Amino acid sequence: MRLAVLGAGPGGYVAAIRAAQAGAEVTVIEDNEVGGTCLTRGCIPTKALVASAVMLANMRRSEEYGIEIRGEVIPNAAKIFERKNTIVHTLATGIRNIFKARRIALRQGRGRFVSSHEILVTGKDGSQQSVAFDRAIIATGSRPLQIAAFPFDGKRILSSDDAVNLNSIPKSLIIIGAGYIGCEYASIFRDLGSEVTVLEKLPVALSSEDAEISEILEREFKKKKITLHTGVAVDNVVVNDGGVLITLRGGKELSAEKTLISVGREFNSSGIGIDEIGMTKGVCGEIIVNDRMETNISGIYAIGDVTGVMMLAHVASRQGCIAAKNAMGGDERIDYRVVPTAIFTSPEIASVGLREQQAKEKGITVTIGRFPFRVLGKAQAIGEIAGIIKILSDSVSDRVLGVHIIGPHASDLIHEAALAMRNGLTSKDIAETIHAHPTLSEGLKEAAEDVYGEAIHTLKR
Amino acid sequence: MNPDDLKYHKEHTWVKVSGKKATIGITDHAQDALGDIVYIDLPEVDTDVETNSEIGEIESTKATSSIISPLSGRVLEVNEDLTESPEVVNDDPYGKGWVAVIEFDDTSEMDDLMDSAEYAKYIEEAK
Repeated sequence: MRLAVLGAGPGGYVAAIRAAQAGAEVTVIEDNEVGGTCLTRGCIPTKALVASAVMLANMRRSEEYGIEIRGEVIPNAAKIFERKNTIVHTLATGIRNIFKARRIALRQGRGRFVSSHEILVTGKDGSQQSVAFDRAIIATGSRPLQIAAFPFDGKRILSSDDAVNLNSIPKSLIIIGAGYIGCEYASIFRDLGSEVTVLEKLPVALSSEDAEISEILEREFKKKKITLHTGVAVDNVVVNDGGVLITLRGGKELSAEKTLISVGREFNSSGIGIDEIGMTKGVCGEIIVNDRMETNISGIYAIGDVTGVMMLAHVASRQGCIAAKNAMGGDERIDYRVVPTAIFTSPEIASVGLREQQAKEKGITVTIGRFPFRVLGKAQAIGEIAGIIKILSDSVSDRVLGVHIIGPHASDLIHEAALAMRNGLTSKDIAETIHAHPTLSEGLKEAAEDVYGEAIHTLKR
Repeated sequence: MNPDDLKYHKEHTWVKVSGKKATIGITDHAQDALGDIVYIDLPEVDTDVETNSEIGEIESTKATSSIISPLSGRVLEVNEDLTESPEVVNDDPYGKGWVAVIEFDDTSEMDDLMDSAEYAKYIEEAK
């Protein structure tokens, strides 16, 4: 079985390895570094930057912990970005080494389908080679959405791809779009010392999260002196000598050294020959797939961002495993019911399942348990007390329907909830599980107890 | 402990009247119960506020709690110093820790507030 994988992001490289494990002869086609957006421009590099930003923020709080710093604590932008590059390089090398060990061929260049059994790869030097395949998996991903009226210039008007390679800390930064990318960069650059303003056209930041979580993040932004304007539309962005001048609808003007536009992503589904072979795409250009990750063309699968299902690295990886197994003759179906997400703002946010506003829309009656981190011994001990854990349990069956966390290590705490939800467990199951003390995980147990009004460490309900 | 020239609201805010203006803040009892205050979300200048409604929030290392307005009116001024140094409320709740100045119309609302002796008794009973 010859399998071609177009794109080596977290969907494509995982699919390639899975298929190779199952005995396929795999060729991966990638015109950039392996690892895709996730490893080279997204998840991983931003987490490296978050780590530097948090380190600095913590050093500035050191006296609270009884540590005196003699002398100035200063971020060195060049070194911060260099550290990030080293981490990305190490991980990319790791993927290349796995490819080698698994005898997965890597063809560097842009791939384009010339038939339903052949991809033509054009290298940066113009050289061309053909990759013939029995089955193929498309994993070409997505890219930052550009606004035609004020396109990215990489210097003043930045995409998230530009921001990750900025190599400097702007004095001031206006971020357009308060989704998870905008909010993560707001936290990073604010902690590194930039003056940060965030503009959002919807009435709240992180509108896809539980409304209560958004509200707490907005307060934490206020504490950090990140200026957030919600419900505002940007009419124009002009580059001038000093930086950028942004005009809001209504005429108000804002200026900053740079602006980062993070208003969404678009699919990498054109120029890869799929229209010519008759592949079905949706209205936004996403490739239509079924729950076996099959496109309308027999033997060709699509996974990850380009399918437009959920633009998350971990969903792409899961889809990649399913596609690889099916390409090798299996019959696996994807299950999107329990997908945890994490947002690395400061404090972190993580969630899984139903939001409270969704429960209302859908007419599902839920009982809500909440627990504030500040009441936990561990949170006090580590000096990170902001945030809450919120559980939505079905009022009839007590099954856990959603969990939302904002606070320290939220991204690590969410998986107990995901496992509970995948197995149909109740908030009582969580409450009656002994949790080690003193840990942040106890917060989930207390939130589960609060569903019954029985949390130990709250004063009243 | 609680100054005699102030009026007190059951949600532990105080009022100091001067003509049509009232300075408000949170009481010593409230700051003591909250513990170390780490953040105060102040009302916005020029907004209208109503008696018994939330006009801001106080976060301490122990809890997050609402600041309840003791009277109705319009916010003229807020104590911006609290944004930088919220701990001032712990140190000086009736002085430098004032929260806002409100212009009010309905003087009858003052009658619903407690004097210092009544407030002292109210706290004692709540214990």
